[in-house]
Amino acid sequence: MLNDLQIIEGCARHERRAQQMLYDKYSRFLLGICLRYAGDKAEAEDILQDSFLKIYFSIKDFSGTGSFAGWLRKVAVNTAITHYHKNLKHRYHIEIEEYVSIETGTSSFEESFYTSEELYMVMNELPSGYRMVFNLYAIEGYKHKEIAEMLGIDTNTSKSQYSRAKAVLRDKLEKLGKLKNSY
Amino acid sequence: MNVRELFRDKLENSEVIPGDSVRNELMRKVAIKEFMLYNPSRFNIYYLGGIAAAALASILIITSKPDVIKNQKEEFKIENSKSLDTLSSVQPQKQLPVERTTEPERVVKSTSNKTVPKISEINYSVKKVDNVVIDNKKEAGSTVKPDSLKIKAILQNKVSDKDNLVQLQRNIGAAFNVSVSGGCLPLKVKFQNKSTSYDSCHWIFGDGGFSNEKNPEWIFDQEGEYKIILKVFNTGGNQAITSSVITVHPRPVARFETAPEKPIIPDDDIRFINYSNDAVRYKWEFGDGNYSDAFEPDHRYRQYGNYNVRLIAWSSYGCTDSMLVKNAFSGSGCFIDFPNAFIPGSGGPAGGYYSIKSDEAARIFHPSTSGVTDYHLKIFSKLGIPIFESNDINIGWDGYIKGQLCEPGVYIWKVRGTFKNGEPFVKMGDVTLLKD
Repeated sequence: MLNDLQIIEGCARHERRAQQMLYDKYSRFLLGICLRYAGDKAEAEDILQDSFLKIYFSIKDFSGTGSFAGWLRKVAVNTAITHYHKNLKHRYHIEIEEYVSIETGTSSFEESFYTSEELYMVMNELPSGYRMVFNLYAIEGYKHKEIAEMLGIDTNTSKSQYSRAKAVLRDKLEKLGKLKNSY
Repeated sequence: MNVRELFRDKLENSEVIPGDSVRNELMRKVAIKEFMLYNPSRFNIYYLGGIAAAALASILIITSKPDVIKNQKEEFKIENSKSLDTLSSVQPQKQLPVERTTEPERVVKSTSNKTVPKISEINYSVKKVDNVVIDNKKEAGSTVKPDSLKIKAILQNKVSDKDNLVQLQRNIGAAFNVSVSGGCLPLKVKFQNKSTSYDSCHWIFGDGGFSNEKNPEWIFDQEGEYKIILKVFNTGGNQAITSSVITVHPRPVARFETAPEKPIIPDDDIRFINYSNDAVRYKWEFGDGNYSDAFEPDHRYRQYGNYNVRLIAWSSYGCTDSMLVKNAFSGSGCFIDFPNAFIPGSGGPAGGYYSIKSDEAARIFHPSTSGVTDYHLKIFSKLGIPIFESNDINIGWDGYIKGQLCEPGVYIWKVRGTFKNGEPFVKMGDVTLLKD
């Protein structure tokens, strides 16, 4: 395995081996990101492939300042957003099973209680718009104003959808918690 | 920890293993894309593109009008005339940031109430635009006050200091009225020249357009604040200038989504998720005669059906936009399910009609359904002997044959039919008849 610099240079020359190494080294990390944004794993893998295509063909844009993984992450997130816009009309997402009453709670969650698979599953069940906003704000750390620009919505819409997303997630986590406890 | 911390901590750097085929599929796509881009020795789409571009360029050169060039020269002449104004290129004063990234496709199921004409014909030789109908002020639900339609902004007295020097002995004065000083995009404005003692005039519309007509009409196709400048001249070499501001308000964008993806109608509560831009007021039409003006309402439909959902959004200024999704829940929710046991009453055949009351005691064997149009049910004994039949979804089996209660035990049911969307169904299963 070459180091990052060698991989980047190889990819810039479109050398297949370097491209494969890049995939082997970073695909799990990037799929972890794509799966947060997608409605299911198949869609996440689509976004992953599109992200890699973008990476391979614009690797010269990586200036070398800042972390390479950080740059890769940004490409994946942007690809996820493009994907979301394309599918906004057609793809709704996996159904919410019950009507959720929105409470403003600040329930506390035990980190070790939930596996990351369970968290992905819960995330995938969010309506796609809520999911985008939640990811960009809570995990990627963008501000609502930036999110509004990226998604083409109002800053206020971003704020309200973030709080609704949190409420839905809280509710699902609580239900999941009860289910797990009853085993 | 709270929700945000939980998700961030666990998922920020988590890894997920892709499926086996992903890598090969990706490499294949990479190879194809590289071929398309980097193979100059072969005839590829870039050569084709180059030829098309060259052809287009030559067509444009051959057919371009000589007038365009002449008018441009005239404009420059006026610009350079000895005047006390420094008239540099006029930009709209406020470029409102357009916050949308990609414009979502609004085809297929949705329609919009915009009627935006193609403005690409506007060039330096200004066209009269009275053939184009822009009806943005008259849209249903628009709250643009009627007064604004009749406002005539008379600003001829707002002449700048420089112009006082220009108004020598000749009483030349610049003034104009506008049909409307503000409105929704796209905005058509009629200008009425009220200047005095002049021979020619020059209008600058602030969005790049000009006119030398006396009473021009102009369409603003971009949001912003535009400084309209009118200069008038007379043969004595004098001129006067005045200006006014036209405000073009952006339209909101109405956009929405519903959840869940395949709701069961009429049972499910449906959430209507609002992604509109630049709007402060909303009206949802659910398609069943009900409405809501909440931001994101929930609604439950009382009956199965195909519903067209429309969202109308208004900006704070009163501009409006709407989005319509026809058959928003089509293809969803049809089902037929049978229970696996029932307890017939021991007091004699009840007939097959069932009710909520009979269901509480599970007296009648019947399915729960949504969207069934055609229905044929057969019940068999365990050995396959036909016992009961019903072609009416309202008639189930009370557990009796010819007045006699059947033995407790397992029976077989088979149903055939069609759903409302045309989809046929065939199902079979067993049901246990229990003793009362």
